[in-house]
Amino acid sequence: MYWKKNFVVLCVAITILAASPPARTDDDQSARQTVERIAHLLVAKSSIATLTMQISNDNGKHDLSMKVWSAGGEDVLLRILTPPIEANTAVLKIGNDVWYYLPKTNRTVKVPSAMTMNTWMGSDFTVDDLVKESFLTRDYTISNSFHGDRGDVAVDEYTLTPKSDAAVVYGKIVLQVRQDNQMPAWQRYYDEDGKLVRELTFSDYKIMGGRLIPTRLLMRPTDKAGAQTTIVYDDITFDATITDGTFAVNNLPR
Amino acid sequence: MSGFLLIARISWRNLWRNPRGTLLTALALGLGLALLLISLGLLDGGHEQTVADGVRLGPGDVVIQAKGYQDSGTQDLLLAAPVVTSVEEFLQTPPTKAILRGMSARLLATGLLSSATNASSVAIVGVIPQAERSVSLVPERIIEGTYLSSNKAAGVVIGVELARKLGVKVGSKVVLMTQVVRASAAADKAGTGGEMKSTLLRVTGIFRTGLQAFDAGVIDLPLSVAQALLGVEDHQVTQIALVLEREGDSQMLADQLRERLSGQPVEVLTWRESMPMLAQILHLDHSFSYVMNVVVLTMVGLGILNTILMRVLERRYEFGVCAALGLRPLQFAAMIIGESLALTSISLTLGLVLGLGINHYFATTGLDFRWIFGHSLPPALVFDPILYSRLSPSRITSSVSVVFIMATLISLYPAFKAAQTELPSSLKVL
Amino acid sequence: MSIRFLQLAWRNLWRNYRRTFITMAAIAFGYAMLMFVACLMAGLRWQMIENGTRLLLSQIEVHDPGYYPNRPIQKTIGGQNGTDVAALLSAITADPRVEAAAPRVYGYGMVSAGDRSYGVELLGIDPARERRVTALHSQIVKGTYLSEGMPKSVAMGDKLASTIRIRVGSEIVVLTQAADGSMGNDLYTVGGIFHTGLDDMDRSLVVMPVSSLQDLLNMPHGRIHEVGIKLYDIAGATAVAADLAARLGKTPAVRVMAWPELAPDLADYVQFNRGVTFVLFFIFFLVAVIGIMNTMLMAVFERTRELGMLMALGMRPAQVIGLIVAEAAGLVCASLILGGAIGAPLLWYLQAHGLDLGGKTGGVVTIAGVVVGRLWYGRQDFPVYAQAALGLSITALLSALYPAWRAAHFRPTEAMRKV
Repeated sequence: MYWKKNFVVLCVAITILAASPPARTDDDQSARQTVERIAHLLVAKSSIATLTMQISNDNGKHDLSMKVWSAGGEDVLLRILTPPIEANTAVLKIGNDVWYYLPKTNRTVKVPSAMTMNTWMGSDFTVDDLVKESFLTRDYTISNSFHGDRGDVAVDEYTLTPKSDAAVVYGKIVLQVRQDNQMPAWQRYYDEDGKLVRELTFSDYKIMGGRLIPTRLLMRPTDKAGAQTTIVYDDITFDATITDGTFAVNNLPR
Repeated sequence: MSGFLLIARISWRNLWRNPRGTLLTALALGLGLALLLISLGLLDGGHEQTVADGVRLGPGDVVIQAKGYQDSGTQDLLLAAPVVTSVEEFLQTPPTKAILRGMSARLLATGLLSSATNASSVAIVGVIPQAERSVSLVPERIIEGTYLSSNKAAGVVIGVELARKLGVKVGSKVVLMTQVVRASAAADKAGTGGEMKSTLLRVTGIFRTGLQAFDAGVIDLPLSVAQALLGVEDHQVTQIALVLEREGDSQMLADQLRERLSGQPVEVLTWRESMPMLAQILHLDHSFSYVMNVVVLTMVGLGILNTILMRVLERRYEFGVCAALGLRPLQFAAMIIGESLALTSISLTLGLVLGLGINHYFATTGLDFRWIFGHSLPPALVFDPILYSRLSPSRITSSVSVVFIMATLISLYPAFKAAQTELPSSLKVL
Repeated sequence: MSIRFLQLAWRNLWRNYRRTFITMAAIAFGYAMLMFVACLMAGLRWQMIENGTRLLLSQIEVHDPGYYPNRPIQKTIGGQNGTDVAALLSAITADPRVEAAAPRVYGYGMVSAGDRSYGVELLGIDPARERRVTALHSQIVKGTYLSEGMPKSVAMGDKLASTIRIRVGSEIVVLTQAADGSMGNDLYTVGGIFHTGLDDMDRSLVVMPVSSLQDLLNMPHGRIHEVGIKLYDIAGATAVAADLAARLGKTPAVRVMAWPELAPDLADYVQFNRGVTFVLFFIFFLVAVIGIMNTMLMAVFERTRELGMLMALGMRPAQVIGLIVAEAAGLVCASLILGGAIGAPLLWYLQAHGLDLGGKTGGVVTIAGVVVGRLWYGRQDFPVYAQAALGLSITALLSALYPAWRAAHFRPTEAMRKV
């Protein structure tokens, strides 16, 4: 499902961090801290976000806007706002279980966990990303691989190499962070042969919910021409109060 | 009585007065029997092989699993550890050990295998590599890399279709994700079990069985790795698959196991029960063999009839002389029957020697189809291109008996005709 | 060879009619049996292919060139804009070898009833046309087959029905990823339940009218994934596929594949079967040949005396041999005709009515994903019949030649002394 993919993007995006400028150093430890902070840039104990998502592939474009409530990383409610024909469609994840609400037929269906792993759900993004929190600092060794100018922008680049037993498919991930505002510029995923598999680009840095964050995220897999997904945050509140009962199946139909 | 013996001796000598003709005929009939034996052997061998292959790509000749697994296939249904131990002990006892060719304890589940570029749902088979080698066909169908070597290393063996889809080769990284097993209803309520877990694996080998579904969906990995991933205790597995030296022992072993495990929530199935489709294929093969046998027997029978009739026809002059010398119709009949029995015996002996000889060749070296087809054989045959013959003693005895009885019965008509030799027309020389 | 000679040969045959008949019988029956076996084997092969292509897989399929092997739902024939389906179908059925063609649409999704859900493959068919291409309609065990007049009525496999606990008349939700990326979903009623014997189909296939699936997928009705084709004679599938590919050309661009390409498993099995039957046929052939050889040898040896007399009367050895050969040739021809006459009704019966395997198979069987029924039909295999006839003739003639040659080289007086 497209918004599964985007939940993925969300989680992946949630691995961006940095509210504080990193110190320029060769020290692994400092690089680790930087990445850690970037990873939690969009993470809080709870959050409510309104965003738009545009999916492009060789079949055309699909634009959606949605509202996402999330708490503790375990519970997530996603509700589509526009286009009207899909409005009110919802996805609810509580722990390991997932439900959909379908406004057209006014039905709530439980998604079997086996289904959340099936490839028909779309193979652009690995579903793996959806349900597994990406523990960047846990699964990778991090080093600062570049400090200087790329073109006319001063950046730091961090190379993340998976630890030998980490359950990740990539050969390495490279993250570029701007020196001026400590914002992530892009994140590139490579396979073991060093081939670029996908790229996540960040832009439109704004202060939202009290933090400076990149509000536009663009994910592009390299082997599918013309395929990409863009997320734009309209609004996000961190440590928001979420009314009880939000994450409940019977709350889905509205 | 002495008259009988005399006729018998005359019959025998009659045969040898025309040694070339007799031998030729005996050879012809013998070849018929030999060919019957060979075709039976090949057909039997063929479908024994089909069963053997099918069984080895599935749960073996006999399988032990948790009760209800055959129907539901849910990965939460596991064999309790004591059951596994009990079975293993039983299989070590000498009489059982002698008939056992291999035993493999497996953990089965479904999951998602991801590479850097793609993901696909897969059927997970957690095995102990050494044990699996003696049971499954997969280790023999590796086309790149090697099969799993140790029970510890995080390796995985995948099918060629899957490798293509995921864009991986030997040595590539893949991540397997699955749902941790809900080991019991209590654990389910408590919220443990059911969460997703992933593990890193490296492709050690790629196999091709030729079966599309298998090559695109099945993966083999070490049992301990699978158990860790699925959150299963060390001694728990989904099934124990057994392959026997002789498929015929399946039923007996299954019964013994059922008895030993009675009261436990397990099911012990023979391959006919766990793979009903295969059993039905066998039925079809049996019918095929049956029809083929009837055809060969008919042809052999006709050959016999033909031969004996010829012999009778061509000897009218000789019979005329015998009749003139006083041989009575009944004695004629006895003489002919005696000859044909003798001839049949010689033929059968020749046929047995020839048939069993060639059969032995096919049983050991096999019949290589590539020799027939040359290059036109497709590269990825599901079936082994070499067909081995299997001829059971019961088949041999039944074939020989049928041919013998058939020959005897067939010789009655010519005997009857011979008995009707008329004088003096039969004494005409030309 | 003068006419006299041939007359002599012919009369020789009939002077000793018993011997001639026996020899003829040997050859005739041998030939009839060989034809019988060839017919059965060809039938089995043909049946396997027929059965393999009667449920979901068709004998020939037409797709967008980008459709195989991954089968993405976006790759409809004619691309995003689809194509004039009716025109495409007429173009295909214009070929006289094509019996029928039917459009199909595929999707993947989830079916949900109550709190049970299951991942499924969705198939959209044109019920009327599909009837003539595959036999799905005859596999319905409960309820009814689909009809265009009931767009929200679907059929599913029995295993699927029991997994999500639904019956005929139950309401289900079907969810899928639509062509535009949105979540296509709708309510349907279970109209029929089928049992094909193929696990994949019974466990995870949901069938609905093609326009309903197109609506669910948010696709215009001109977009289809596949055209399934049935031929009058499956034997020429690959050739017809090539012709169709050439004729259909570029608008829309298509790829036409015959069943061996679509189902390599099945093609493999057919090859294997061919191998086995070849070996068996060879064995039968040997049996037949031995019988004939034996008979002919004996027949001629027994006439050594007669031949000796002929030579004493002045016939030259070469003429004696020629005489025997002429006799044998006449005999063989007559025998083969007789064999054909005996065999023909048998062969006809086999092809029309089949051999009932009855209780021996106990129901339907699946081999390499193919359902094989109880009746075993024969199929005429004329090339093999001709080859067998040739083989037998050569054997018979050679078998007659040898003793004739020997006899001709005895001195007449010696020959005449043989009794």
